[in-house]
Amino acid sequence: MGLQINNLCKGFDVVNGQMKYVLNNINLKIETGQFICILGKSGSGKSTLLNLLAGYLKADLGNITVDDVIVDGPDADRGVVFQHHALFPWFTVEENIGFGPKVAGQSKEEIKKLTDYYIDLVGLDGYAEKYPNSLSGGMAQRVGIARALANDPKVLLMDEPLGALDALTRDNMRKELERIWSATKKTVVFITHSVPEAVYLADRVIVLKEGQVDMDLKIDLPRPRDAGDAKFVSYVTKLEEKLTDGAITEMINE
Amino acid sequence: MTSIAIKGDYLEKGHMEATKSSTHNIDRKNAEKRNLSILRVSSILGFFLIWQSIGWLNEAMTWFNPVYLPTPLAILQAGIEMAADGTLWANIFISLQRIFAGVFIGTLLAFIVAILFVKFKKVKALINPIFNFIGPIPVIALLPAVVIWFGIGESSKLIIIAFSTFMVVLSYALDGMKNTDPLLIRSAMSLGANSYQVFTKVIIKSAMPNIFSGIKASLSGSFAAMVVAEMMGATSGLGYVIINAKAWFKMNNMFLAIVMIGLLYTLFYFIITMLEGYLFRWKGSVDNAIE
Repeated sequence: MGLQINNLCKGFDVVNGQMKYVLNNINLKIETGQFICILGKSGSGKSTLLNLLAGYLKADLGNITVDDVIVDGPDADRGVVFQHHALFPWFTVEENIGFGPKVAGQSKEEIKKLTDYYIDLVGLDGYAEKYPNSLSGGMAQRVGIARALANDPKVLLMDEPLGALDALTRDNMRKELERIWSATKKTVVFITHSVPEAVYLADRVIVLKEGQVDMDLKIDLPRPRDAGDAKFVSYVTKLEEKLTDGAITEMINE
Repeated sequence: MTSIAIKGDYLEKGHMEATKSSTHNIDRKNAEKRNLSILRVSSILGFFLIWQSIGWLNEAMTWFNPVYLPTPLAILQAGIEMAADGTLWANIFISLQRIFAGVFIGTLLAFIVAILFVKFKKVKALINPIFNFIGPIPVIALLPAVVIWFGIGESSKLIIIAFSTFMVVLSYALDGMKNTDPLLIRSAMSLGANSYQVFTKVIIKSAMPNIFSGIKASLSGSFAAMVVAEMMGATSGLGYVIINAKAWFKMNNMFLAIVMIGLLYTLFYFIITMLEGYLFRWKGSVDNAIE
C-alpha cells in the first residue's frame, strides 16, 4: 500500500547512440500519511519525477503504483499543487476549489459544504467570490492547495509550491502547510531546492542526484520544528554537504 | 472610524496580504474617468461644430455649391423629416437586424467550426486550405454571385455578413483555443476532468476573450458587407438609402445615412465592449498596471 516507485527510468534525449536517462532506476516506497521532500539541484530530475507521479509523462521503464494501482495518466487520486498556482482565472476562489467535486458529479450542497470547509481550513474566509487575478501570490497558493485537497486525493504532489513567494510569505506558508498537513494527514510528495524547507516539513528527505537517489534521510525531530535547534542545523548541514557534494572537498584535495 | 476598524482587522490577520486602495485613490480614479468621458463627448461635438462652421463660412464666402457638402444642421433637418414619415426608423431597424443576425450566425458557425478543427485534426487538414483560399477574397467580389444564387431577399444579405464575420472570428477562435495554458489543462486533468470537461471548462473558457476580440476585429468588415449588400438589389436599409439618395441627388439624406452607419457601428462596438467587461470581469483591467 502507499505510494511505490519501482525501477523507474525516464529519458528524453539520445546522446552518442545511448539514451541519456534523466531518471535512472528509482526505487522508493512511501507510506501512507508520510511527508516526503524531494531535494535536488536543477537538472537532478526532481521535476521529471513529479511529472511522472502526476501522470503527465510516461515512464520508459518501471512503474508507479498508488495503493497497488499502476499510474496511467493524470487522475483525481493524485492532487497537484503547482509552483505558479495554475488556478483557473475565469473561476472564483470558490469555483476553483469546487472544480474537482463538480467534475466528479457531486451535488451542489456537497460542493458548497466542501468549499466552505477548505476555504476555512486554508484561512481564506471572505475571499470566496474573488477571482484569482485579485489575489496575492500567497493567497493564490492557498487556493491551489485547497483545490487539490477538496478532491480528497490519496497523494498530494507539490512542485516547489512556495518557490514563487517572497521570503516572509514563504516562511508563513511553511507553517501553514504543516498545519494543513497535520489536519488532513495526506501522503505528500513535496519538491524543493531549499534545504531548511525540506528539514522543516519532511518526515523523510530524498536527495536526487543525476537521476538517482543519492540519499534517503529520515528527519527525526518533533513538530513544530525550530530552525535554530542544534539537531535541525545538523540535518541541514548534512544535506547541504550532500547537495554541494564533494565540490568543496574536491577543491581541497586538488 | 469604520475604515480604521477594518484596517485594524487586516493587521490582525497579518497573514492576509490584503491591500486596500484608500478612498482618496478611488476618488481620484473616478475624477479621471469623468474627465475622460467629457473629452470623448467634446471630441464628437467639436467635430460636428467644425463641420457646421465650414458650412456657414462657405455660405458667407461662396467657395462651392453648398449642396455638395450638407451641414450637420441640414442633415438633422433631413433626419427629422425622415423620422416623421417613419422611413428613418424602418431603415435603421432593418439594418440593425441584418448586422445583428449576420454577426451572430457568423460567430456561431466560426465557434462550431473551430471546435471541430481543434477536436478533429483531419477535418482541419481537409477543410482549412479551402478557407485559406476563399478567406482573403473581398466579400464584395462574391456578392453578385450570392445574389444570383440566393436572390435579392434577406438570405443573401445574411450570408454575406455572416461570411465576412465567420472568416475573421474563426482564426481568432482557433488561436484562442490553441493558446490555452497547458498548465491549466494539466491541473484540470489532475482534478479529475475528462477530455470533454477539459474542453468545455478550460479550452473554450480560455478562448472566449479571443473570440470577442475576433468579433470586434471583424466588425468593420461586417458593416462594409452589410452596406454593400444593401446597395445591390435591396429596397431597404441604410445602404439602400445612400444609393436611393444618389439617384435623386438628395445629398442631405445620403449624409444622414452615412452618419447613421457610423453611429450604429459605435453603438454595436460599445455593446460588445460592455459585454466583454461583464463576461471577462475575471481579467484584470490594463488600466490597473500602474496607478
